Amino acid sequence: MKLLRLATIASTTALLAACASGPKLAEVKSSIPALKPSEGRIYFYRSNSMMGAALQPEIKLNGKVVGNSKPGGFFFVDAAPGPQEVMTSTEVEKKLTFTLGAGETRYVKTSIGFGLMVGRVYPELVDNAVGQKEMEDSSYTGQPLKR
Amino acid sequence: MHRFKIAAAAACLALAACAAEVVRQPSELKPTADAAPRSFVLRDSVKYMLDSRYERVLRGYTQFVEVGSIAQGRVLRPTNAVMTVEGKHMHEAYAVVKDDRLIGFYLPVERSFSPLSQPVSLTLEERKTQ
Repeated sequence: MKLLRLATIASTTALLAACASGPKLAEVKSSIPALKPSEGRIYFYRSNSMMGAALQPEIKLNGKVVGNSKPGGFFFVDAAPGPQEVMTSTEVEKKLTFTLGAGETRYVKTSIGFGLMVGRVYPELVDNAVGQKEMEDSSYTGQPLKR
Repeated sequence: MHRFKIAAAAACLALAACAAEVVRQPSELKPTADAAPRSFVLRDSVKYMLDSRYERVLRGYTQFVEVGSIAQGRVLRPTNAVMTVEGKHMHEAYAVVKDDRLIGFYLPVERSFSPLSQPVSLTLEERKTQ
């Protein structure tokens, strides 16, 4: 019984530790730099669900690692306009393709789905209004921002 | 018998897990020549099923701008919403419309047409530019 209690505490602690722990969007909003007119911006975020919390794969944008999919976390990448390919890998690769215009902002949500052996992380392009709303409670997990 | 059930369940899971690529064929977009392209608003929400069996809803008041045409029909890009098609992977999509029906999608990154086996009617109202 004691062992079961210890295991429960340990797993709960591990799950909590798995969640993103940076400053909230409202705290960093004023530090996020203005978008250059010649570039577009992509926000990546994931809802703060405990399901599959330990699964935090890298997110690649056009073949380059730009961050990790962390529960409750968000970050952004400024990129040259044109076609974009987002990829996450767990037991399988999942890709999302979309276009990015100069001065345009787009939102990519990563979600956990069921797989054969482990969960899978799916990148999904969402409406800007949805992305802005769902990111409100997220924590910033990107590169340090200048204040 | 028990083993057979487990094997059947595993096979179902495996099939569900291995979605096929979105069916598509290369297509050349002829951009609209108009300086002020036509824009439209969708009057009512429309639900449709992709050939990959994923369901999608186009909400009423979704706005579109006509960006050009392909051999299959007119290509309308949503401006206040996102459209995607999904199979093994997910792709941004523009609506391909013919005779007021959504007949498929233009994938701007892949420069391809992806047909919709069960087209749906769209009630589009043209927005007049001032």
